[in-house]
Amino acid sequence: MSAAVPIPVIQLLQVLTVAIAAPWVTGVIARVEARLQGRRGPRVLQPYYDLGKLLRKEALAPQGASWFFLAAPVVAVAAYLTIPLLIPVLTTYGLPLGYMGDILGGGFLLALASFVVAVAALETGSPYAQLGSSRAKTFSAITEPVVLFVVFTVALLTGTDLPYALAATVRSSAGEVVRPAHLLASAALFMVILHETGRIPVETHTGTNEFGMIEEARPFEHSGPYFALLTWGSELKQLILFTILADVFVVPWGLASTQRLGAVLLAIVALLAKATAVGVVVAVIDNSFAKLRLFKITEYASAAFLLAVIGVFTLYLGGGA
Amino acid sequence: MNPPGVYEGVANVIAALMLLLEFGMLRQALIRDQVRLYTAQSALISVLAIVIAANRNLPELYVLAALSAALKVVAVPLVLRRLLGSRIGAEGAGVAGSYTLSPASAVLVAIGLAAFGFFCFGSMGFHSRQAPETALAIAAAMVFVAFGLMIVRRDVASQAIGFFSLENAISLASLVVAAGLPLLLETGFLFDLLLAVVVFGMLIRSHHSRSESLSTTDLTRLRG
Repeated sequence: MSAAVPIPVIQLLQVLTVAIAAPWVTGVIARVEARLQGRRGPRVLQPYYDLGKLLRKEALAPQGASWFFLAAPVVAVAAYLTIPLLIPVLTTYGLPLGYMGDILGGGFLLALASFVVAVAALETGSPYAQLGSSRAKTFSAITEPVVLFVVFTVALLTGTDLPYALAATVRSSAGEVVRPAHLLASAALFMVILHETGRIPVETHTGTNEFGMIEEARPFEHSGPYFALLTWGSELKQLILFTILADVFVVPWGLASTQRLGAVLLAIVALLAKATAVGVVVAVIDNSFAKLRLFKITEYASAAFLLAVIGVFTLYLGGGA
Repeated sequence: MNPPGVYEGVANVIAALMLLLEFGMLRQALIRDQVRLYTAQSALISVLAIVIAANRNLPELYVLAALSAALKVVAVPLVLRRLLGSRIGAEGAGVAGSYTLSPASAVLVAIGLAAFGFFCFGSMGFHSRQAPETALAIAAAMVFVAFGLMIVRRDVASQAIGFFSLENAISLASLVVAAGLPLLLETGFLFDLLLAVVVFGMLIRSHHSRSESLSTTDLTRLRG
């Protein structure tokens, strides 16, 4: 078990772990959610079967849709699969490609994926798909300031905007863990993630109820393998956001600090455990709060913004604690 | 930037939580829930007093924490609920319409006020042996947000809550600045608070019996 794993293999493993585990996390959340509602719920592996079924089906495109409609799912998934190269998924040390982009680079990739899906939805001319993409773009503009202030907090805490640097800072001492700025930024990021993954405050995650439909509406016109790619893409996005929350902000422990095979395997298990734990918390929160009306979303965003801003204040104006 | 120690971190986190609860009172629609948030905020300041007492070896702060908890966590909310009474309490669930701004805008305005408070005290370069200075800046921000709460809500009950939480903010500041302040003085402050509770309670009742509502908008019609 003491064999060293070559660096490029670890880099590949980061992507593969996220790619393969993403539907599993979705399955766990669906299962926990069903249990909380007193249902038996689907198998944990159900998302894999769904993807498999969709991949075997025929792909249809609406009349008048251009090549972009079919290219968008591929671009989105490619963007999502690039992000695990930039964030600490398995290792505490930065891998060679890990410094090709900082937090903003990761943010751009997430935005690019969401943008191409929105444009593809506009291509279809279907009202539902357009409604979903219009809402997604409007609300992400509202949550954007929160993300910015979280990035500012990271910058003030570490002097850089590299996710690896923040994880290392948090690990460095207990004083860093209980720092108000760190806790407030983590809480704000968690609220944004709840919104981004379509849980709280307005969306019903699996529903097709148009009052709160955002994430589910956008791939309305895609079918077959393209729809599979979009579904997989949103599962990837969920796991990536959970990984950022866990491995960068909240619990950056359990990552491999060496190249040894045992450490890397342990890191994979730890990542799965952490992502599952975040998923369970998300499912519990999703089930314990009522959904808001669509346009009450500003209140939710203002609460998240408050957390992030107070975090920056304690660092920047409050004497640097 | 040097990371502060665990003790400073914990004290700052408690102070920051108190500030967040202040914001919670600002947007909360029901009196009942506002009183609940106030209770939580008062409990936090007792916890902070205990943390400081344990860490800085100031035994009289334990007494202060116990007194403050007995008064602000138990007595004041109890008296408030009594004075509001079941009648006002039941309909008075309805202070929801007393916003002069929408909740989201109220929060944004209050963030501005908090920034001003942080800036004022942060730039003073104040140092204390007992507690971290960030907690003092947070206390200043709380004072401003409490004032904001009293201004943006047009009902007597919210204004009373705003006043009581203002007292919490000042207790927080005094814990930071002068944790070793003679106990007698601190107790005096606490009894001032009790007096304020009774006065505000009478005010709420008489206002309600005269205008059949908790809203202060009727008062603008009064002419001398």
